[in-house]
Amino acid sequence: MSDPVKEHVLVWDIPTRIFHWTIVVLVALSWFSADQGSMRVHLWSGLTLLALLLFRVLWGLFGSTTARFADFLHPPRKVVAYLRGQEMALYAGHNPAGGWMVAVMIGVLLAQALTGLFSNDGLHFTGPLALWVSDDVSTRVTGLHGTIFNIILVLVWLHVVAVGFYLLVKNHNLVAAMFTGRKHSRHVPAGLNLSFTRLSNALLLLGLTAVIAAWVFFQGVP
Amino acid sequence: MSAPAYAACVALVTALGLGFAAWAHPAFLHSSLQNLGLEKAPRAMPGSFYITRIAPLFETRCVSCHGNTRAKGQLRLDSFAAAMRGGKDGTVIVPGDPGASELFHRISLPVSDDKAMPPSGKSPLTADEVTVIRLWIAAGASGEMRTIKGAPKPVLEVRIPESDPAAVQKQRAPLAAAVTQLQARFPGVIIYESRNSADLEVDASLKGAAFGDADLAALMPLKTRITRADFSGTSITDASAPALAAMTALTRLRLARTQVTNKTIGSLASLMTLKSVSLIDTKVSDAALAPLRQRGVLVYGGGNE
Repeated sequence: MSDPVKEHVLVWDIPTRIFHWTIVVLVALSWFSADQGSMRVHLWSGLTLLALLLFRVLWGLFGSTTARFADFLHPPRKVVAYLRGQEMALYAGHNPAGGWMVAVMIGVLLAQALTGLFSNDGLHFTGPLALWVSDDVSTRVTGLHGTIFNIILVLVWLHVVAVGFYLLVKNHNLVAAMFTGRKHSRHVPAGLNLSFTRLSNALLLLGLTAVIAAWVFFQGVP
Repeated sequence: MSAPAYAACVALVTALGLGFAAWAHPAFLHSSLQNLGLEKAPRAMPGSFYITRIAPLFETRCVSCHGNTRAKGQLRLDSFAAAMRGGKDGTVIVPGDPGASELFHRISLPVSDDKAMPPSGKSPLTADEVTVIRLWIAAGASGEMRTIKGAPKPVLEVRIPESDPAAVQKQRAPLAAAVTQLQARFPGVIIYESRNSADLEVDASLKGAAFGDADLAALMPLKTRITRADFSGTSITDASAPALAAMTALTRLRLARTQVTNKTIGSLASLMTLKSVSLIDTKVSDAALAPLRQRGVLVYGGGNE
């Protein structure tokens, strides 16, 4: 009988996994709270998202191997080859197409969080940095905030479709891997040598980005 | 599962998702179809009740939150088509039925109600404005109908410009010294027309016979700023005619109980801003007043009185 632990290789560190699922929850919460007009919840959800996204950018520079941008951002030619099925290499972390999807998703979510800071709902709510700009600019940014939301919906759908493709067509459960952190050995390159950054470093970076988010929050407190 | 089968499933689920979105948000469906040219967007005719009465009301009261740059509740009221499409919860205007129209319901709520529109902090619609919207919806919320019986008449908004002391001071500056000097010479006779004006009013009647032609001539430095002048009961004569004719901003002139004659009246013909002149108890003849009357100047006294 084979050893299930040895069959599965740890590829995702804890911070990356927690980041992923927290983002899922926060995006849903942000959508729901805005829809219900619960702007206080929306504000806290958005600020938490901002802190996490900034953390993810830092983690992409200083984090574990599979979390680093350098590991999953491949040249466009390689991405096209991968999408055409001409690139058969195995990847421990994100594949060439998935890597760019993650980068775009982080960028768009960051844009959404940042535009939210300068937005207003025309009634009783203004983003914490809305007073830094004119009413006209704030109103335009609010419009942009709504547009980016639609882009996020499309990206989320593409992401889900891609994950479903791997699960149902390629028999590769990426969702479970993002929960457990482990992928089946047949999906990762042989002789894999991944490094995992210490959890304390993640907490340090997260603390730093939380301070930034808190500072942003207090800019909006009269 | 094969890739083509998966693609088919994705296409099906995507179509179902879009279908659900269209069902849950009909405004989104109609907006998309109209933007793609697959559905004709309803339009309001120029001169229609909507264009002349409803659209301006929406523009001033609603569009800041329900317009192009911001569409709260996905509702836009910046065009007839958008207003008829409604928002994320469906149509807000039910033609012929104000009671079933969410828009009318919201603007009819007491200001204290959380759902009242415009929201707290913004001026509520006036009773006439609410009535206009109610009548328009009751009449079918048409974009073509030109008049609606019983609709309150539109109220013209009058805006009083705010005072700008610096600008007024700048306007008064060229004559300020002369005004001060003459006010000292003729106490209580010369005043500014208002706080916000550089124009002057002269009331020499206070001086009575003590005010003569030489005194009037002394006012010449102010001739272009005097808009109202009252020389009633003074001792001025036709010798002041050239000085009066030089007051080119005059709108109202009183010469009652003075010695002026037709000669002075003839010289007033050049004052194009003059609206009224009082000649009670003067020796001015009716014939001399004819040119002024033809111009529409209101004449009190004079002639055969």
